[in-house]
Amino acid sequence: MPDRADARTETEAATDAATGGAHEVRPAVRVQGLWKRFGEQVAVAGIDLELPAGKFIGLVGPNGAGKTTTLSMVTGLLRPDLGKIEVAGHDVWTDPVEVKSRIGVLPEGLRLFERLSGRELLAYNGRLRGLPGDEVDKRATQLLDVLDLAGSQHKLVVDYSTGMRKKIGLAAALLHNPEVLFLDEPFEGVDPVSAQTIRGVLERYTRSGATVVFSSHVMELVESLCDWVAVMAAGRIKAQGTLAEVRGDAPSLQNAFLELVGAGGRDNGDSLDWLGGTR
Amino acid sequence: MSVLDAPVSAAAPVAPTTGLTPVFVRLKLALLRNGLRQSTGRKAAFIASLVVSLLLAAGQVLGLVLLRGNEHAGTVVVLLTGVVALGWAVLPLFFPSGDDTLDPTRLVMLPLRPEPLIRALLVSSMIGIGPLFTLCLVVGSAIALAHGAAGVVFGVLAVPLTMLLCVALSRAVATANVRLLNSRKGRDLAVLSGLVIAVGIQFVNFGAQRLGQAGGLSTLDPAASVVRWLPGASAVASVDAASDGAYGAAVAQLLITVGALVALMWMWQRSLVKLMTAPDGSTLAAAEPTREKASGRGGLSALLPEGRTATVMQRSLRYVARDPKTKAAWVTALAVGAIVPLLNALQGTGSVYFACFAAGMLGMQMYNQFGQDTSAFWMVALTISSPRDAYVELRARALVLLLLTLPFTLLVCGVTAAMIGDWRSLPGALGLSFALLGSMLATGAVASALFPYSIPQEGAFKNVVPGQGGLAWISIFGGMLAAGLLSAPVIVPVIWMHVTDHHDALWLMVPGGLVYGALIGWAGLRIAAGRTANRLPEILAAVSKG
Repeated sequence: MPDRADARTETEAATDAATGGAHEVRPAVRVQGLWKRFGEQVAVAGIDLELPAGKFIGLVGPNGAGKTTTLSMVTGLLRPDLGKIEVAGHDVWTDPVEVKSRIGVLPEGLRLFERLSGRELLAYNGRLRGLPGDEVDKRATQLLDVLDLAGSQHKLVVDYSTGMRKKIGLAAALLHNPEVLFLDEPFEGVDPVSAQTIRGVLERYTRSGATVVFSSHVMELVESLCDWVAVMAAGRIKAQGTLAEVRGDAPSLQNAFLELVGAGGRDNGDSLDWLGGTR
Repeated sequence: MSVLDAPVSAAAPVAPTTGLTPVFVRLKLALLRNGLRQSTGRKAAFIASLVVSLLLAAGQVLGLVLLRGNEHAGTVVVLLTGVVALGWAVLPLFFPSGDDTLDPTRLVMLPLRPEPLIRALLVSSMIGIGPLFTLCLVVGSAIALAHGAAGVVFGVLAVPLTMLLCVALSRAVATANVRLLNSRKGRDLAVLSGLVIAVGIQFVNFGAQRLGQAGGLSTLDPAASVVRWLPGASAVASVDAASDGAYGAAVAQLLITVGALVALMWMWQRSLVKLMTAPDGSTLAAAEPTREKASGRGGLSALLPEGRTATVMQRSLRYVARDPKTKAAWVTALAVGAIVPLLNALQGTGSVYFACFAAGMLGMQMYNQFGQDTSAFWMVALTISSPRDAYVELRARALVLLLLTLPFTLLVCGVTAAMIGDWRSLPGALGLSFALLGSMLATGAVASALFPYSIPQEGAFKNVVPGQGGLAWISIFGGMLAAGLLSAPVIVPVIWMHVTDHHDALWLMVPGGLVYGALIGWAGLRIAAGRTANRLPEILAAVSKG
């Protein structure tokens, strides 16, 4: 459904016209012609993205859509085959000094230094980023408090639950007060209480003008959190724009999403007619 | 009345328990077969270990049969059986996955009664290479000891009893410790087992040599007279006693084994019931209160200055103390690095230059630095944005290595020289150690940048993930060869001074080796830093496979 992406350009042009074409706000992330191939499989097939600054941005798509690959390349953890990536106006691959100090990252499926305690991990990460020790300790204490980890701050991360891991990872990503925060599946496997805590912290953080980019396949969550959405499927961007633009006429983001990724007319299980029948 | 209406207590125990044992035996055989079907590598490993075990077992049976009639036969056989029984008890702690084919926790959902379950597990545990090997040994032991009708009778009883005892012992220990084995601490313990074996081999080797020198097998007699009355070996000892006509002792020894077997079965059943009906470890761990510890910069961290160097050093030191894989590597290096020169010196065959082995073993810890981080390397990668950052990171890791290695090298060199009494060569050995250490640091840093590989976190003997073995060999052996060549500017003058009898000048090698080692180490870190900064995504990908 390419017309929806086109719709965005039109709307944007209209907005630009309304604000007198003022383009002084540079995008948080600009991606042009990004490709990544693993052997025979094309994970990311030439995507263009422009994510506005100061927004809560959701990158949504089914499993295997290329979300993690894209986020890894944008954060400098995976080398793209082709393409140009700018974060906060600086090229990720030619100007790492500027980019790495401005971003916070919570990857999915990578370990932490698990034989450190939660507090030690934050102390290590903050000092590695060159923050003064006292400041690191102060921020760590506050983050541990807000994220409800103060009680287990001296436990080793290896003994943390999934939700605690996500929270300590988030704290480590926030510690240096980055301009742009990239979170890969931050709510995956997280209990509702922790999810609410994470959500509160992120909302407070974006209100300060920072940008959050997070990937997810839970549409309800994206719909309630984000004001900007990019939909990915099979390594391509199917649509990007404000929540309203991407949703279009569909009753919910979920419906719009299913339509976009072409999963609308699937068999709804009529063949399982025995299920729930007489036992 | 349909099946569903029947009282539960009447229906449940009858159906599943009849013929449970054959079901388990078939299950075990099927699991074995399917495990082999999965990969040709596994099949080859199984067949190889089967052949080796059978050969060993055959050799042992032959040896035991030949021992028949020897005056020390009783001593040797009893001790051997005792060691095997001990092995059965200890093995499940170190190799928890060794027999997960019959992990009782997988049967929790099935309606099984404890008694038939125990029986079935016991019988099916008898299938495998280990039990076959033990059977050969026990049969050989009985043949070696049995004389006369009474001996044969006791032998026939002792063989199955010992087998049952070994298997029951192993299963009881494993079941009682299943919580520990499935917890992080247990997995850490399993990782450390490699260490026990690496160091143990050195001592067994040494012990065997000592035994050959001193009074022979008769030195073992006092030990055997105690082991005779311990459950693992007492059944076999009863054969010896019966053959000698000491029927009272024989019956008592046999009864000890029977009693131990009954006790073990009871304990096994109890822990099995508890295991299958009580909440699992994760629930208990979550309910545990967290330990409180003094927060902030206490202890060592207070001594270190701020900045990347101190931060990285602190993290590395914590990993040496806390991460089982890192700890095992370090302790093995320290132990083997000390044992080889010192034991050789003790036997009078050594040279002070053997002490350089310590520097070499510890220098190897510099290899694959980022693989030791596992995929947590992303945290490091995100903070390295220039070759300077990478240099400071690598230098800090090298400093940790030196912090532990330099005093250790001095100690090993000093003690070796003292034991041999060759103080004249000490400066040469020291200079050589310094140069070797510097070269190992240099090549290790470069290899870390160019040939990183993943270290699997589970298992004691897996230090490379499948597919990266070649990389690891190139890295370590290429690096060691290069380090040897790089040390040549110090090796050559040391040899020259010895050959031309210029021993007085050897002291020159201490500052010489120190300066040369520092220079080559610095150059290696510089080269590695640029490569590391350029290859961060590639390194991360390489170390994230474990």
